[in-house]
Amino acid sequence: MPYVVGYNWVKRKELPWNQEKLLKNVEGAEKLRWRIVDAKGVVLGRLASHLSKILQGKDKPTYNPSEDAGDVVVVVNAKEIELTGRKFENKLYRWHTGYPGGLKERTAKEQWEMDPTVILRKAVSGMLPKNNLRKLRTRKLQIFPGPEHDFVGPKYEGVELVPYELPERNIRMKKRVDFLDHSKLPEEFQPLNREWYEKMCRLYQIGNPYPKPVEGFKSKGEVGKKE
Amino acid sequence: MARVKRGSVARKRRRQVLKNTKGARSANSKLFRSAQQHNMKALRYAYVDRRNKKREARRQWIIRCNSATRLYGIGYSQFIHQLAKSQVRLNRKVLAQLALSNPEDFKNILQVVIENE
Repeated sequence: MPYVVGYNWVKRKELPWNQEKLLKNVEGAEKLRWRIVDAKGVVLGRLASHLSKILQGKDKPTYNPSEDAGDVVVVVNAKEIELTGRKFENKLYRWHTGYPGGLKERTAKEQWEMDPTVILRKAVSGMLPKNNLRKLRTRKLQIFPGPEHDFVGPKYEGVELVPYELPERNIRMKKRVDFLDHSKLPEEFQPLNREWYEKMCRLYQIGNPYPKPVEGFKSKGEVGKKE
Repeated sequence: MARVKRGSVARKRRRQVLKNTKGARSANSKLFRSAQQHNMKALRYAYVDRRNKKREARRQWIIRCNSATRLYGIGYSQFIHQLAKSQVRLNRKVLAQLALSNPEDFKNILQVVIENE
């Protein structure tokens, strides 16, 4: 996503009534486990399903649905999240204002430019169970668009941020991966649509053995451009 | 016929119902007619939920088994399949309690079960 646009993300202020608590409006945040997740290059929905499980506390053998013992999750690099297909331009976020004719919509691209954290937040809160604990659990999810987060300093000394790694993906589409099986391709093969090929390599976690572009050939995104 | 006064029979009947509804909100614990409706619903829910309690307990055991085995890299479905294959007759209640109280024993069971693939 090659956008270098400024975003309307406001940094948390150190207000006098927030000084003592580690997390605003979350009681007992000192006793919970804190985790940090890097969202760089991860598909949105697949990350959100894992995060919803962590926030509910379902990855612990002490699970009890009546109490809320889920982890506090800090997500970092949220503006580098991936959306497959053409969802970045076509996915719509819709809401109704209550007035007649008040159906408003916004594409994921516009939302990303305004505030990229909302995309992940909506995905995760839609995957949580719709009960009275849903709001508390979304408050435990702290998302930051860049590589830095707010939980650094003397106030957060007793807090350990345990890194969370996503489990491996079981890719069952063996037929489709044949086109990336380099031993079966001829030696003179070069990918023509380079952007798509590199994206596929990243998603299937394969290194790109064709790093140099073909001379004199323009890929799909460069056909109409003038030098 | 001889004259029959009704006496305190009705009062005793109503007092029993009001005894059941102690702790209910506003009129449901004070006034007989609202209390009786409240009581009938409560007894009906209790009957149904005595059967639901068993289902919910099993659901929680399964979730805890799932989370305990995923710490070692296996999911609940594969675990139960291997348990049945190796003829270990432990039930989910015991396994969930073992995962909390004796994690070493749980690990031993997992190793025995995985080696029997």
